Order: sequence, then C-alpha cells, then structure tokens
Amino acid sequence: MSRTYVLLFITVLTFSLMAVSAQEAIEPVYVGARVCATCHNGPEMGHQFSRWLMTKHARAYAILSEPDAEKIAELSGVPQDPQESTLCLGCHATAADAEEWELDETFRIEDGVQCEKCHGPGSEYMDAEVMKDRTAAVRAGLRIPTRETCTVCHHEKGSHVAVHQLPKLDREEAWKEIAHPAPESPKWEERLLSAPDPEPDSARSRIVGVQVCGECHTGKDKSYQYSRWKLTPHARAYAVLATPEAYEMAQAEGIEGSPQQAEQCLSCHTTNRANQIPAMASYSIDEGVGCESCHGPGSEYSYEAIMIDRTSAESAGLLQPTEATCRPCHENAHGKPFDYQVAWPEILHSAEQTQIAEKIRYKTPLNLALSPGGRELYLACEASSSVVVVDVATRKKVAEIQVGGQPHDVTFSPDGKLAYVSNRLDDTISVLDVASRTHLRTSAVGDEPHGVLTDREGKHLFVLNTSEDSISILETENLTEIKRLSASRNPWSLSLSPDGSTLLVTNTLAELSAFRTPSVSELTAIEVERGIVKSRLRVPGSNLLQGVAWHPSGEFAFFTMNRTKNLVPMTRLMQGWTITNGLGIAWANGRVDQVLLDEPDQAFPDPADVAFTPDGKLALVSSSGSNRIAVVDVERLIEILRSASDEERETLLPNHLGTPTEFVIKHLKTRHSPRGIVVTPDGSTAFVANALDDTVTVIDLASLETDGTIDLGGPKEVTQVRFGEQVFHSANIAFHRQFSCHTCHPDGHVDGITYDIEPDGVGVSPVDNRTLRGILDTAPFKWEGTNPSLQRQCGPRLAVFFTRIDPFTPEELAAIDLYIATIPRPPNRYRPLGSPLSPAQRRGKVLFERRFTNDGRLIPAEQQCQTCHPAPLYTNHQVVDVGTKMTYDRDGRFDVPHLNNIYDSAPYLHNGIAHTLEEIWTVYNPNDRHGVTNDMTKDQLNDLIEYIKTF
Amino acid sequence: MKVSLEFGFYGKSIITSLLLGGLISPVVAEEASPDPAGIELPYVYTNWKTFTTKDGLPNDHIFAVEAVGPEVWIGTENGLARLDKKTGEIQSWTEKDGLPWKVISALAYSEKTGELWIGLFGGGLARYSAGRFDHWHQLNSGLVNDVVYGIALENDNVWIATTAGASRYNTVTGEWAIFTEKNAPMEEIWNYGVSYNDGKVYLGVWGSGVLEYEVATGNWKDYLDPDGEMEIDLYRDDGIVHVITTGTSYIDGILWVSTYFGASRYDGRHWRGYFAHECGLPSDFINAIQGRSGTEAWFATDKGVGALADFETDTWVTYTRDTQTNEGLAIVSRGPEILKEVRSGINIPHNYTLWTEMDGNDVWIGTSKGLAWGIGEGYYRGLKAATPAKADSGPGTDEPNTTPVRR
Repeated sequence: MSRTYVLLFITVLTFSLMAVSAQEAIEPVYVGARVCATCHNGPEMGHQFSRWLMTKHARAYAILSEPDAEKIAELSGVPQDPQESTLCLGCHATAADAEEWELDETFRIEDGVQCEKCHGPGSEYMDAEVMKDRTAAVRAGLRIPTRETCTVCHHEKGSHVAVHQLPKLDREEAWKEIAHPAPESPKWEERLLSAPDPEPDSARSRIVGVQVCGECHTGKDKSYQYSRWKLTPHARAYAVLATPEAYEMAQAEGIEGSPQQAEQCLSCHTTNRANQIPAMASYSIDEGVGCESCHGPGSEYSYEAIMIDRTSAESAGLLQPTEATCRPCHENAHGKPFDYQVAWPEILHSAEQTQIAEKIRYKTPLNLALSPGGRELYLACEASSSVVVVDVATRKKVAEIQVGGQPHDVTFSPDGKLAYVSNRLDDTISVLDVASRTHLRTSAVGDEPHGVLTDREGKHLFVLNTSEDSISILETENLTEIKRLSASRNPWSLSLSPDGSTLLVTNTLAELSAFRTPSVSELTAIEVERGIVKSRLRVPGSNLLQGVAWHPSGEFAFFTMNRTKNLVPMTRLMQGWTITNGLGIAWANGRVDQVLLDEPDQAFPDPADVAFTPDGKLALVSSSGSNRIAVVDVERLIEILRSASDEERETLLPNHLGTPTEFVIKHLKTRHSPRGIVVTPDGSTAFVANALDDTVTVIDLASLETDGTIDLGGPKEVTQVRFGEQVFHSANIAFHRQFSCHTCHPDGHVDGITYDIEPDGVGVSPVDNRTLRGILDTAPFKWEGTNPSLQRQCGPRLAVFFTRIDPFTPEELAAIDLYIATIPRPPNRYRPLGSPLSPAQRRGKVLFERRFTNDGRLIPAEQQCQTCHPAPLYTNHQVVDVGTKMTYDRDGRFDVPHLNNIYDSAPYLHNGIAHTLEEIWTVYNPNDRHGVTNDMTKDQLNDLIEYIKTF
Repeated sequence: MKVSLEFGFYGKSIITSLLLGGLISPVVAEEASPDPAGIELPYVYTNWKTFTTKDGLPNDHIFAVEAVGPEVWIGTENGLARLDKKTGEIQSWTEKDGLPWKVISALAYSEKTGELWIGLFGGGLARYSAGRFDHWHQLNSGLVNDVVYGIALENDNVWIATTAGASRYNTVTGEWAIFTEKNAPMEEIWNYGVSYNDGKVYLGVWGSGVLEYEVATGNWKDYLDPDGEMEIDLYRDDGIVHVITTGTSYIDGILWVSTYFGASRYDGRHWRGYFAHECGLPSDFINAIQGRSGTEAWFATDKGVGALADFETDTWVTYTRDTQTNEGLAIVSRGPEILKEVRSGINIPHNYTLWTEMDGNDVWIGTSKGLAWGIGEGYYRGLKAATPAKADSGPGTDEPNTTPVRR
C-alpha cells in the first residue's frame, strides 16, 4: 500500500471516528422532579426540591386549568384545552413534545416546569457519582441555564399581558425567586419520597397518593379537580415546612431541626400524618395534604369500577369530609383563626361545580345548501360548530345540529336523505340524517376541508382538502376514501356541471410563481365518471378564486376572483390600484375570460360566491367586503365577451373598470359579510348567508329586492372580538373600499403571494405575506421586526402603506387586534398531541438539536437550529441575518418567524423566494448562515424537514 | 451532458446503430420458412408500425413507453409524446411547452388518478396532470438525485430509481424516503430500474443485484449472484446471473431480471439464467425487461429484442432488423436450435432497443431510432401446433395456424 493510500486511510478513519463520535447520540430520558428530589431535598441540600415546590413553576401545569388560561389560549390562537395544547404545555410543562420513550415512568407532566425543563433530561447525569463532578454531569447532558434560558418562555406575550395585565417580568427578581443554591458543603443521601411497599397482608386501607387520584380526576370533564387541588396551599403543605418561617414556628414550639422531619409538623402537613397511616409505593410525601387526607386512604376504593358508584366507594372507605375533618389541623393552627365557612368554599372541587361560564358563541354561517326539494335550508356555521336548519316556507330556524369544528360547507345527497358537512378544524366530514336531524358519523379526510359535493348519483363525495392542495373522493356507501387527486393550491369551492360530467374546482391561492412574476391561478376540472382531473384551466393575473357555479346551459361557469397587483408598490391607481375584484368565466371548451365587478369609484371587494337563477338569465355574486350582492345580466355579459376581440378579452376586459356598469344591473344590500348564495329551484328566491351577523338575507328574484332576513339565533350582543371580526372583514378600511384585511388573509391565513408594499421604488424590499394564525405571541411583527405590537402593526402604519384611508379608530383598532389574536391555529397535521414521532421525524429531531456537524465540528450556537427557533413557538423573537439579503432589500436582518404549522404557509423566507422548505437550505443557504446544513446528506435534510413539519 | 452519462456506457454500439439505422413505415410480414412438422410454435409478430421524428416524435431515441388504453406515452431523449393509436396522431411536449427537463428515462401512468409520472434523466421527477407539469428535483424536494432511471407506482407511493439511491414519495402525506446503503442492503447505490407488483417493489441496482421490498412488512431482501464472479456465471442457475442489473419485472409470482450480462427468471425457489449463446436472447447486454406473464418475457437488448415466448419449452422469438436490407427478421428458436425464420418488411426500426412495453396483445419497442408497434392481432399465449396452411388464416385466429406468421 502506498503512502498516499495509508494517509488516505488514516484520514478517512479519523473522520469516520469523529463522525461516529458526534453522532453517537446519547438518548437521555426525562425522569421527573421526584427523582431529582431523592438527593436534592432536605436541609443538607438547602431544601432545593421543596423550594421548587413552592414556586409557580411547580404549578405551571395546574394553572392551565384556570378560566384565565382558556382566555389566553383563545388569544393565542389555540383552539384546544390548554392542558392539551403543545403550545401551552411547551412553557407550562416539561418535555411537552417528548415521545413516550423519552419519559421515564417516574416522570409526570402534571408536575409542571420541573428541574429538567432547564437542566435537560436527567437519566444520564442523575447518578450521584456523575453529579459530584460537574464537568462529567455536563458531558452527560446536564445543562446550566442562564437568564437567556428563561427568555424562551418568559418573553412578553401579548395574550398573557392582555389577560393578566401583569407588568413585564423583572428577570433579575425572577432569577432570585427561583434560585435554589445548595449549601456550600452540600450533603446528600438518597431519601425516598415514596413510601416503602406495604406488607401484603396488611388489612388496613393504605394511602395511594394524589397521583393515583389525579389519573381520573383530571381534565375539563372532571372540572380539573387534580389541578385545582394543586393550586391550593394543601399541595404545598409539605414544602412549606422548608421555609424559614416554618423553621421559626417550629422552633417556637420547641422543635429542633427540619420541620420536614418533625412528627408534629408532618402530622398535619402530610397525607400520611407522619407515617401514622400506611401508604403504598405510589404515595409521595411531598404531595403535602392530598386527597386522602380528607377522603381517607384510597387503596380499597380508588378503582374506577368502585368509584363510579358512590355507595360502593363509601363502603370501601371513601369518606365525605365535614367540618370535623378540617378542624383538628386548622383550628388555631399556629395561632391563626379558622373560619370553616370561608375556608370550605375555597377548596370545594366537585366535578360539576366550576363549569366555566358559557361563552358567547356566534353562528357565523359561511355556506348553505337547499334540500333537493327546496324545503329546507342547511347552513354550515363556523363559529358554533353546527348546522342550522331553516324551514324555507316559514323562514324560521327549526333546528341546529352539532357537527365538527369550524364547519365550512354543506351539501345534500341527491335523494335528500343525508347531508354532508366539511369540518375545517377537525379535518373531517360529518354525515347528517336529514329526517331525524341527527349527526350520524364522521369520516377523516385531508387537511382543512372546505368545499364538499356529491356526484349526480350520490355515489361519490368530493371533498376539497384546502390546506394540502388535494381533492378526496369518497364512496358514500361506506364513506371510504378511494383516492386523492392533486388540485392546485388551496382548493376552495366546487360546482357540478348540469350534465353531471364535470366538477369545476376553484383554487384560492395562485400557483407558486417565479420570483417577481405575476400570479396565475387554476381551475381544476374533474371528470366525474373516472374520478380524474381532466383539465386544468389557467387564469392569468388572478388569485383568490372562490365561489363557482355552472350556468344551467352547461356552456360556461362563473367563478369569483381577484386580480392583485402585488409586484408594484401600493400607490398605483391606474387599472384599479392594488386589488381588483371580479368574475371569471370558464367556458366548457377550456377558454377563460375575466371581467371586473369593480367600478372606478366603487369596488366590489371580496367576491365570495356566485349562483345562477334556474333560467340562467341572472347571476348573483356576493361581496363579503362591502355587504352587497351584484346582480349580473348573464346574457349581456356573454354578449360583451363574444363581441370583443381576443386581445380585448385577454388584456382589456380583465382590467376594465368601466365594463361592469354594462352587465351589473343592480346591487342589493345585505347584512354583515355575505358569503354563500343559493337560489331556490323555482327561481323565485335567493338566500345569502350573512356570516358576521348570523342571518340570512332573502332576495325576491322577481322584483330583485331584498325580502327580509332570517335570524339564525346567534347572540345579539356584539362583543369586542366580534366587532373586530366585522372590521377585519369589511373593506370600509381601504381606499375605494377595495379590499379588507380578510382579502389577503382568507381564513386568517395567507394569500400566498409576495407584496411590494411601500412606495420606495418598484421591487424594493418585497415581502412574503404571513399568517395571522396564532400571531399575537410572536412579536415583533413585520419581516424587518420593527413593529413591537399588533397595535403598531395595524395602527397608523397600516393606513400609510396599505389602506390609504383614515386609520382605524381606537375602538376599531383595539377590536381588530383582539380578533386577530383569536384566529385559531389548526392542529398540526404531522403530529397530533401525544402521538409519537415517525422514524424520520425522530431522526430529524436529532438533527434539529445537533451541536456537531457530520464530521465532528462544533456548530456555533448562533448557527444551531434551536438557538433561533426554540420551542414552543420556535422563534426567539429576534431579527437575524441568515444571508438571505437580496440586492433590493433594505436590510439583511429579518424577523425570525415562528414555525408552527410551517408546512402550510409556502412560499418561504422574507421575500417568498423559496417555494419549498427544501429550497431554504438547498438553494438559499450556500454559506451555512441559516443554520449549518451543507454537510447534511440528502436523507438527513429530508428527516430535518419532516421534523420541522411537526412544530 | 447528462445524456452522455447514459450513452457513455453503451455509446459505441448505439452510435454505430444510429449510423446504420433507417426507417420504413408500416409493413406486414412477407415470407416465412415452412413450419417444421409436428412442432408447436409461438405467436410471431409480423404486423409492425414504426414511428420516428418524421411522424411527429420529438426525438428518435426512445427511452420509455407507457401504453394507456387508446394512447401511448413515449419518453424520448428530447421530449415527451403521446400517440393516439387510432389516428396515429402524435402530440409532443418539449421544454418550451413546459416539460421540466428534456430527457425522459421512465414513465409510469396511474390509472387511479389519471396522471403520468415522468422520470427525467438529470432533471428529477415530473408529473403530467391534465396539462400541468409538476416538478420535483433534489433542490426543491426530498428526491435523492436528479439522474432518474426508473419509476414505479406502489399504492399512493411513487418509487424513483436514481443514480444515488432510490426515493419513495408519498403522494398523500408528501413524505420523502430515501433508500441507500444506510437503510437497505444496497451495496451500490446506482439504481437502474424499479418495478412494483403484488405487494413487492423490486430495485435493479448496478452492482447490487436485485433488492426486494415487501410493502406490508417494510422488509428488504437482496438477490445477488451467489458465485460472486463478475466475468463468468460459475455455477449455473444458482441465482441472478450477474449483479449489474438493469431491470426487473414481477408478474404471476415470477421475477424476471435483466442485466448487462444475461437475464434471469426466479419462481421463488428456482433460478434460471439466460445467455445469448444458448437461447434466443439476441445479446446479453439487456437494457430493459418486461414480463408479460410467468412464462413470457421480452428483453430489449443492444442487438434486437428477444421474447421468451414459452418458458417451459424455452421457446424464443428473436426480432432483429437486417441493417443491410432493412428487412425485419423473426427467428423462432428452442434453446440454441432455430426452428423457423420469418421475414417481414420491417419490424423494429433499429436493433439497439431500449424499452419493451406490453399493451394487451400488442407490444411496443423503444429503440435508438424510433418506436415500433407490434400489432398482436390473434396473439396467443404459449405455443400452438402448426397445421396445414389455409388461405387467409393467420395468427389472428384462435384456430390452429398453418404458420405462426401472417401471409
């Protein structure tokens, strides 16, 4: 072997060993605070464990049961129970995103923010022998937190400030508050907090410990009984014995040493009363005064099978506490008076007792469908998660059927026996029995389903999975999905051709286009018989395609659309300023025309839906931004198109503000935010769902006048949030009433395009639109991170750069900010709470958290993923230069975006130049400034991305 | 440049063939030697049509063919084409028409969604869906490499054989998986072909034989040449004939394998190897394989097409073109013995063949000088006894033929 080969061999071997060393990931698991306490307890260790028990950290999980937590969750865009939200638990618990295998059986999430939240999972460093040597402990995974560690969670969050009105956290004071230094000469010995195993033949009832009770007495259904106990002084009764005050009291009563070791103290400060009552291994003394202090030792009654029957439970030892139960410990304890009448209500915790006050729940009808005979009207009501049934003859609401979360669309089976509802929040379809008006079942479909429709025979159900750009086809007989077709981006609504052969689907987001090129959208045509896409009609210059309807002749279909001038600053008034609104005409032969519904001084913002009269003479189009319906003379419009030249149809009519006066014969006023429209089979009446005041506008088609409204039974009170929602959806905020906030943020999300907003020159600092879902706590705002609050973001600046009209009034601004904060973030598609990571996601997590490159080089902290993207929001709220500045960008530093549900907000980077997550690193990170990624193999990058999608 | 990678391996033969190749449009068989008495014979394709750039193909180098009902998709070195079998009309797409990359090395049509998946040699993966091309490559997606050799559809997954491993793309979840030496028994990562049928994915890997992936279990199994010899097949029928595999085809529980050094058939227990010197295989240098059944398979080689028409009797039909006369020649053989020769006006437009595609009774052959369509009127499986000649009888009838070729 030549010398060259020897050197090569050594080099390869060296690098291989380094790589192996770097990749030999220790896989530590979380052991829980009680394991730490086996050493870090007692006076010799400065009562560290008890000091933690006395902190808010120990109650951080339990506090999520409070009504305020629900309010905060709402302002954080969290639609789940806070104790079941990864986002809330990310700061209120330890190891919230860990998999089951990462949690030792000694770990309990209910213990809140525990030692390992700051010090890292402890399985590898917890041994006393390791912990004696700090260097060894650190090597084994012990983290030494700094004040910066706290910032991830203790960054000022708008949602929390809004509810608690607390001043900004004084980090220095807080640091002192949680300090838990060990004595200069610490001594530790393992102290088991758990009781020794009882003798098997012991006939006496034994204490099982509060954790056993907590397994059932938890969650909303049980009125959070465990958490409510955890928030009481009872839960800290043992820990409090470690305080200087306790020492003083004990000394005053002649007790020397630690009160935690004094029988007199423990008899009232622990459940087992200083070992007077035998306990099982599941009991831990640190629980203080637990359930069994009052209810008696639970070993014989704590089984679910017994507890469901109170008589049986009482026979097995369950006690119902009375005043006499409390008095022995509380009467004149430490010289304090005891008022039973005051104390008792404070600890009451029946499961039914603290039902949270019913929230005001609006209906928010979005879309509607007439039963095949035209007898009933079904409305999908987003806010109430219900379908409201209206009797057409009496125009009265006759029923309301609960369905899944955020229903968006509803349709009937052709025989009228069933109704199908898309549930956007739950990613499901609900099936309703029309005769009994009951909910029969649900079936899972794709992400955020919107439009739903059957074929003419009712054999197949077509569901538009908006957030994953696909169309599910289900067999209605068993509601089984048989295939999923590729749509364009965010398929929204659909219509079946009169002959039943073709389904036309609108896609509300334009295709991802090359950087700084105009939008092109797609209408997807499905051949119903074969269940395949048969053509894709391109609609140049357009976006936000939403409502669609076939003309009764089958010769063409109308669809609503916008034409957004996003490539030039929002100052150009020619051809309709920034966003023009109109109607598309899709011909059966594949040709597409576009006309505007805007007029020079009166725009037609947010066209949402369209419907034809049965004779095909009129089309009704809703403008949710201006609360109007446009009545279109179809014959006249078609005549205009047919008499125009090809060039005029391609370039003139799509931008001509003067045309609508020729074919729009009337505008009808509706109530707030008209969305879906239907016309009765006899052509006499049209119904329009007014989303934001829970009514239906009735239109008499003979006279073309509104003919009253139908009340859907929503609350009459307009809350501040509802007012904000109305402002958000109203185009009154913009010059010429051209667009609303909702225009660029449909469903509170994104319109998927990049804007050149400010009048600083064409193409200077273009910015990608960003989602509003869960936005409040992600400050600062704006890609350059210059707006510290939503008030600033939506305040005067909005008027200067966006709306070009008087800014919001203070009332409007406060309301809209509040509403924006409540826009919910859908559950993560790639990892529901508590589910394990897939193998690829698991490998990706290791990469996300890595500190070494594949060849063993240390990655500087500022280039590690988790430095800038720490859980649970995955932003450090800073502005950072990751090397993405382009020639016309003002600055290279950009706000670190949060990464929650990042998979559904393409394109990426500040200017939307990256169409996929992969491109962020394969194309736009040549110098490893946006994390060190260039050493990764392709499969590693795939794994990393799979993990990022779980955020 | 990417193309030269492919041509680099067999460049000399293809260039020579291209220089010698010519074109004659549709013709039928003209003459056949007398049938040997009392011998059962296979069906012989004698009615051929050919298509080249003159007929509208974007390029004559045909790398992939996918027959779908009345249409045939054709992947060429410079574009995609779709042939209407009824009218003969050809529609084509090149990069200026939105095709993301010009060199097409693989095609797979999804009956379920009506979409065509396209392997791009140097350009990654594309999907043609109702007029729209979607494009995945190693920079914008999880695809492991852009040099794609093969595609197979497995349930909702697309498998892609590339020069740097195999990728699997889940069209519903969007998840990409990569299979290389890290997580599969892949001694080399140069994947030449991939096929799927009956719950099993087979990868033909240059230097690593055949890898079988069982979808239900996620388990891998490798098939290597047990004798380990690269130059000779030391022990007959002990496994695949060579580890430099180019294609696989699994049908009726039979795995067919092509290599650059012969072919193999595996019934789950027994292997059978095939070499040109002892059967109707025109050459051991096989570019592609397509099993039609457990007993019939077609091999595209650098010297013509070999069709093992009947496994049990080792009966072959070898289709070549006489480069001097441009006549087509079909030789029926059993083992090394030639049973019959059938001459026709033309069969395949070039002997350098790159693809075979079964289309009901018809066959399609991709060559380096155009596409051939063998019209299988009266095609029958296996063998039939030769009977005395009758006027107007031919292979299109179910009755015993006087001759396996049409007169």
